Amino acid sequence: MIIFSVILVLLAVLGAPLFAVIATSAMLGFNNIETDLMTMALEILSIAQLPFLAAIPLFTFAGYMLSESDAPKRLVRLTNALLGWMPGGLALVCLSACAFFTAFTGASGVTIIALGAILYPALKQDGYSDKFNLGLVTSSGSLGLLFAPSLPLILYGVVAGVQIDDLFLAGILPGFVMLVMLSGWSIWVNRANRKPLSAFSMREVAGALRETIWELPLPVVVLGGIYSGYFAVSEAAAVTALYVFFVEVIIHREITFRELPRVMRESMVLVGGILIILGVSLASTNYMIEAEVPQRLLQLVAELVSSETSFLILLLFFLLILGAILDIFSAIVLVVPLILPIAAGFGVNEVHLGIVFLAAMQLGYLTPPVGLNLFIASYRFDKSIMHVYSATFPFLLILALSVIVITFLPELSLLFLSN
Amino acid sequence: MRRFLERLERFGRAAEDGALVVLLGSMVIIAVLQIVLRQFFDSGIGWADELIKIIVLWLAMVGSIAAARDNRHIRIDVLSHILPDKLVALARVLVDLFAAVVCATIAWQAWRYLQLEIEWQETVLFNTPAWSVHLIVPLAFLLICYRFVVSCARTLFEIFRGDPINGAQ
Repeated sequence: MIIFSVILVLLAVLGAPLFAVIATSAMLGFNNIETDLMTMALEILSIAQLPFLAAIPLFTFAGYMLSESDAPKRLVRLTNALLGWMPGGLALVCLSACAFFTAFTGASGVTIIALGAILYPALKQDGYSDKFNLGLVTSSGSLGLLFAPSLPLILYGVVAGVQIDDLFLAGILPGFVMLVMLSGWSIWVNRANRKPLSAFSMREVAGALRETIWELPLPVVVLGGIYSGYFAVSEAAAVTALYVFFVEVIIHREITFRELPRVMRESMVLVGGILIILGVSLASTNYMIEAEVPQRLLQLVAELVSSETSFLILLLFFLLILGAILDIFSAIVLVVPLILPIAAGFGVNEVHLGIVFLAAMQLGYLTPPVGLNLFIASYRFDKSIMHVYSATFPFLLILALSVIVITFLPELSLLFLSN
Repeated sequence: MRRFLERLERFGRAAEDGALVVLLGSMVIIAVLQIVLRQFFDSGIGWADELIKIIVLWLAMVGSIAAARDNRHIRIDVLSHILPDKLVALARVLVDLFAAVVCATIAWQAWRYLQLEIEWQETVLFNTPAWSVHLIVPLAFLLICYRFVVSCARTLFEIFRGDPINGAQ
């Protein structure tokens, strides 16, 4: 069994599709406990049993339509009109625009491609150092992961069986902690940058507002609909998809009907890649529960740590390593079912656990060897990966600090929750 | 032969795109219709939820087929940034072969499960036979398997054809 595990890990490192690796480990496991391999089919079919899953393709489609339209440009213009007059203002524009955008596009690297292309040259023009720009744009690419309706939040809710609307509320303050800490640091670094600042102009704000009049209500459409009780999360996703379609295809006409199948395909390729991993992970999770892996893990962890605090410290270290080797989606579907019972044993709230999990995994986007954002930025801005990494490192430290704050102040995640 | 394969590729891509458009479009329409019916007419379609869940399964499967064609399945992609191209290509042949075998196995097991469903006459969505809806699973894994075999063959072809020519120059 150990030999098989080693071979599987080796195959994964060599670049085997993760779903094939996970499926194999599940099938080997089933074989081991003499369960018919037909179970695999049953597990994959249970994708059709999970509640709220429809939210994932719908929000992803909406996000891709937004990124294909000129919405990123309009968003940058608006934030620039609102924040550009401050010292370090453009850095704040970058952070907040990226956070807003990532929440809708699901942190798949689309943000760097869609917004980085606009912001990177603009930052340069405004006299920010090249290294700072690169680090800022790269680390902004996954900011906003904690804001509704981001894909990882929904996936965590589905996998952990936690109310998704609770997670949406729980992400707000921790998300802002990250945003504020990175903003503070950006202003501090650029305190010497005394380029004459553009004056705050009411007219520019009004112009930018008029331009974004159709996109601005989006958060209200998503959150307002859910919390006023008009529709459930997956329905909110459908309304969002229809609304974005209406705005970008019918009103702005920035995506033609001809292009629409391509945009659909692009978004569903991502969804297919995530859901197939979810399907085979359901199988491997079931095998592990059958083989009592969570109980044994709990015993093991209980020998190492004794309090909630020490458990959280251990968890953070584990997630940091996990985030460095596995993408956020695979990590959620594979690992969350295993750590959920352990965390419960130490009295960690499951909603808080989700926020900690995602916040810590966000660091993984920026850590080598597999940090997705590093590669995308390296490719997009034509810089060596090591250069991108060293430029991103200070931001990584600030983010790590914010993750520690978020982890040990559960009130941040739980404040808005009623019970 | 070559022309036939090219035509097959084009047809396959168009079929995937068409299926995705229909699935995604109908999902949006059904979900929104549900809200309208509930909020304004105090009614709803009883089977809508189940249908949406089945569409999710289909989207997942067709999306996976498309991901396999576009070579966009999630992988740990470290080595390609470190190793020389030739070794990367060799590793690629190995892992694609592995993935093809895994997909073939799953397709076969899903096919066996389908036989059982036919035997037990299971149904979904009123009286639709369950197998007709679940057929997408073995079909998808078979097509994904085919994709990996093609990719594997293509890489092998490049290794053997590409290098001697480069070496001779």
